[in-house]
This record gives sequence, C-alpha cells and structure tokens, in this order.
Amino acid sequence: MPSGALLFQSIILGLLLGGLYALLAAGLTLYFGIMRVVMIAHSAFLILAAYLAWWSHTRLGVDPLLSMIVTVPLFFACGVLLQRVLLARLRPVTLTMMSVLLTFAIAVLIEGLLGYVFTGTQRRIQLGYGSASFGIFGARVAVVKLIAFGLAAVALLTLYLLMKKTTFGWALRATIQHRDAARLVGIETERVAGYGFGLGLATAAIGGTALALDTTIYPSLHWHWIGPLMAIIVVGGLGSVPGAAMAAMVLGMLQSLLQIPLGTTWAQTIFYLALFATLAFRPQGFFGGRLAQRF
Amino acid sequence: MPSASEPTTAPATTSPATVPPTGAATTGRRSVDRVVKVVAVLLLAAAVLSFPSLAPNPYILSAGVVVLNFAVLSTSWNFVGGFTGYISLGHGALAGLGGYGTALLVTKAGLPSFVALVVAALLVAALAVPIGFAALRVRGASFVIVSIALVLILLLVFQSWASLTGGSRGLVVPRPFPDLLRPEHHRVFYYLFAGLLALALLAWWSIDRSRFGLGLKAIREDEDKAEALGTPTFAYKLVVFVVSAAFTALGGGLYALWFGDLDPVFQFSILTGSYLVLMALLGGVRNLFGPLVGALIVGIGLEYFKVEFGDTQLHLVATGLLLALVVLFMPDGVLPAIGSLLGRLRPAQSSIREVTAAELREQRAAAAGVPAAREPVDAAAGSRPESTREGTA
Repeated sequence: MPSGALLFQSIILGLLLGGLYALLAAGLTLYFGIMRVVMIAHSAFLILAAYLAWWSHTRLGVDPLLSMIVTVPLFFACGVLLQRVLLARLRPVTLTMMSVLLTFAIAVLIEGLLGYVFTGTQRRIQLGYGSASFGIFGARVAVVKLIAFGLAAVALLTLYLLMKKTTFGWALRATIQHRDAARLVGIETERVAGYGFGLGLATAAIGGTALALDTTIYPSLHWHWIGPLMAIIVVGGLGSVPGAAMAAMVLGMLQSLLQIPLGTTWAQTIFYLALFATLAFRPQGFFGGRLAQRF
Repeated sequence: MPSASEPTTAPATTSPATVPPTGAATTGRRSVDRVVKVVAVLLLAAAVLSFPSLAPNPYILSAGVVVLNFAVLSTSWNFVGGFTGYISLGHGALAGLGGYGTALLVTKAGLPSFVALVVAALLVAALAVPIGFAALRVRGASFVIVSIALVLILLLVFQSWASLTGGSRGLVVPRPFPDLLRPEHHRVFYYLFAGLLALALLAWWSIDRSRFGLGLKAIREDEDKAEALGTPTFAYKLVVFVVSAAFTALGGGLYALWFGDLDPVFQFSILTGSYLVLMALLGGVRNLFGPLVGALIVGIGLEYFKVEFGDTQLHLVATGLLLALVVLFMPDGVLPAIGSLLGRLRPAQSSIREVTAAELREQRAAAAGVPAAREPVDAAAGSRPESTREGTA
C-alpha cells in the first residue's frame, strides 16, 4: 500500500491532469454537438499550439503564456475557416465518416509540417519558474502544473458562461439541440456553427500552451492525446459537455492513481478499458442525452 | 445516395437469357461491356503475374511485394468499408496482430510457417468477434473511435510486453524458405501475395453478388430502414467484420514471413490503417478493383517518397493532402470517375424510345414470336435496367 503522502500527491496530480483533459474534451464535444463531427485533428492543433508557445519562448524570448494572445484568435479563425470552407462541403449523408477522414488528414498534415519545420527533436520550454514547487500536506505540486490547471479552469468557466449567459451561447445551444428549429426562429445556424468550431479550436490553443509549460513535445505526440480524449467523450456520452468534463476528471484521476502500482505506460490502458466497457454495457455513455443514442 | 456500384455489378448479374429480346442494342452493349471487363481482368492478371520477370532489379521486385501487400490489406478493409460504409482506421492493428501472431506461433510454439499463418488468422478472426461486438453496437463516430483506440491500445501492449514480443527491439521471424536467395525469396512471396489477393477479390466478388452482400449494402445506404425491413444488421456487420479481420490477418502474417522483422511502432500504426482507407477511397470503395487501383497509386507514391525524401516528414504531408483532396472532391474514387467520363463519351442514353409503340410491338412479335399478352411484362423488364443505368451517366 503506498504511503498517504504519495496517494495524496497522485490525487492532486490527477485533478490537475483531469482539468486539462476536461478543457480539451469540451472542445471535442462542441464539434460533435454542432455537426456530429469527430475531430481527430483536435490534438494535432493542441501540439501545434504547444510548438508555437515553445517557438515564441525560445526564438522571441517571450513568456509562453503570452503566445496565447496570438494563438487563441488565430485558432479561432482556423476553426471558423475549417467549418465554413472544408466541413460544410461534405455530403450530409456521409458527413460523420468523411469528416473523420478529413480531420484525420489535417492531423497528419500538421504532424508532417511540424516534423518538417521543427524536426522530430524533442523540445521543452526552460522556464525560470519551471522547477518551482510548493508543498501542501506532504505533497509537492509544481507551479507550472498549477498554472496549467488554472488556465484550463478559467477557460472552461469562460466557455460555460459564454454558453449559458450570452445571446451567442443561446444561439449555439439552440443550433446544437435542433438545427432546423433554430433556423426557424431566426438563428443564422451556419455562422453560429462556424463560431462554435472556432471556440472549440480555441480550447486547443489554450490547452496547448498549458501543455507546453511542463511537457516535452514532439510532432507525433498528438497520438498519445487523441486516444484518451476520444475515450473521454465516449464515456461521457457524445455531445454532452458536463459528461465529458466529469469523465475527464474521473479518468484523469484513475490514470494518476493507477500509475503508482502499474507505471505510466500500463496506466494509460484505463482509458481504453473504460471505452470498451462503456461501449459493451452502455453505448450511449454515462451522461449522454438524446444525441449519444445514435452514435 | 446514388449507388455507383450497381451499374458495375448489375450487368454481370443479369444473364443474357433473362434479357428481353427487344433490347437487342442493350444486350449488345452489355455483352460488349462484359467482354471488355473480362479482357481487362485478364490483362490485369497477366500484368500482375508477369511483373517479377519484368522487374529490373530485386529492389523493384520488393517494392512490388509491398504494393501487393497493401492491395491485399486494402481489399480486406473494403469488406467492411465498402459494403457497410463503416470506416475503420484500425485495420493496421489487425494486420499487426496477424503478423505478431504468426511470428510468435513460429518462434514460441514451433509451428511450421504457413500453418502458423493460418492459425494466427483464425485466432485474429476469433478475437475480432468481441472487438466487433463492442465496436459495431454503435454507429459512425463511435466505431471510428473504437478502431483508433484498438491501434493505440495494441501499440501500448506490444511495446510494453517486451518479454513476449521483444518490445521496441523488434521480433525476428524465421524465414519459411531459409535456403532461397533474396531475389528468389521476393519472387516466391510476390506470387503468394498475388494468390492471397486473388482469394480476397474472389471472396469480395461473391459477397457482392449474394443476398448477404445485398443486406450489407442496405446497411450502408440506410441502416434504420434495413433493420426495419428485417435485415439482421448486427449479425451481418459482425460476420463481415470477422471475414475482413481474417483476410487482414492473413495479409499481415504473410508480410511478417516475408519481411522477417517486426516492430510494434510500424505494425500498430494508425498511419498504416489510414493508408488502407486512402487506397480504398481513392480507387473507389464500391468497386471490386478499387482498393487494388488505389494501392497501386498510393503504394508506388509511398515508395517514391521514401526514395526521394528519405526520412523527412514530407510523406506525411503528401498523405494528408491526398486524403483531404480525395475526401473533398472524389469521395467515390477514381474508378467511378473514369466510368462516368467514359459514359459521357458514349452516345447519350435516354429512356425515350425512338420507335412508335406499334413498331415496337411488331419488332417484339417478330423477334420472339410471343403472344401480345406478355408484352407489358417484357416492357417492364426491359426498361428497368435501362433506367438504373441512367443514374450513372
């Protein structure tokens, strides 16, 4: 049995990791809700944002957090363009399958370009406060992990408020719930869907910056993220933001706890076990609503 | 949803005997079509079989083996992707399982190479039952997610379980023909792959013509309606998934015997799975030879990139661009595109007859000597294939 301090440390780390998972899964859920699109390229954009943060730190010498001033609007624009220019062109009948392939192609493209421009060398940001940490109840928590969690939490809260309190949020939720009905009451669903994609991709920009703070990055890293994220949105129930957030926290915590007896590699299998168990026993996920029934 | 595969299969399934005698022109064109098709298949077979003697050096021959391997895997993928429309990005993992299964059965259990190959394929087919059970209960999006997860989890397991699989150091597979020189070895395996490809194509073709295939295509077009009409959709999907897995495993196992060295990173790679999808889509998933044509294009392209650009990541960029272009602009593939181009060059087809009803009656009576009472039936039977052909022109 591991010591109490180690257990507590794992719980804290699990919480911090779960926060980042929750933010990214929220973006994936948005895409799915809006267009029934499974966005494989989400984690590739995540790594792209991490590379941009690394690049602005090493080449331009600015704090990686400041890179978000550029990357968040940039990714928002990318998301709008992606939806309006590419995904809207696909035939509605085969949209789900073909969008998977299209976003897969974008993911491979980004990975290839990153590998070509920055080479496959592993990169890491060296920050002044990178090794700083503080202790609570015998657990040591790195400052950068806390910053990453803070970023994710603030972004998620902003997203929540945007969805619940603003007129745009109403329009977006209406579009997700029933596109035709939303159009009937005068919502420009096409434009709203585009902005929704922009928002989703903006979460990848924030998540990528948070990731770059304390992780070694390399072009093919996105495959390590897409699996867990996909598992999270299925377990949570496709299309449900609270479900995804809940599944992200639970699975992030489990992963962190299982690392003690199993080691980091085998601990990752929890995501896939949860995915297969969900599909075998409860295919609509644990928090999914109407949407998840059919997917 | 226009079904592009129907025109290619419909003429083959209607035998000349059932064609009403009035459609003399149609019958003529149809038999010409069939002759053209048979000649094309024979030419293709001849080209494939004569390649080893034409190949200038062993490297080109080995590239040919790689392309044929891709063709086998892509055709196997097309059992699921083409018939049911479920797109799996995880077939690379099934091939990897076939490869590792064969290798482990040879090295650890001491089975003869080709017995191991078949046993491994059967084991993978058995494993495909629970995988398919979990994956096929859900539609579309979740199925793709499961197929990706399958690759990632197997990569994790095979890399970490180094005591059995050799981990990242790789696993050496003993050669089935130890006394053959390398070029001879390539040549033998080239023919083995060609045989396996023929087997897979034959299986696809016979499913395409069967009632089972009809049910699968109904799932592709509208799963709810198919289910409402009494098609046992889940059982059909599961069966075809298992068949596909078995063929994929055979392809992967044969690759393991040929290449002789396995590495989890390459065996369980999503990229392999995506190549298979790209090939099938590029060629046309509804065509028997679609995946083969796609494998020729993409496989040769990949070899070219390997030679020209070596280890740079440019092949990823090219793959991504090509896949995006195919999905956006040519989701039906090149074969249907060429078909419709040829159809445009032909004299325009229409359902309007350039004869009066009276002339038609005379012609019909003269040609068959059938009493007038049967005419409406004949007319209906004669005009229907005509109208289905219309959709493709």
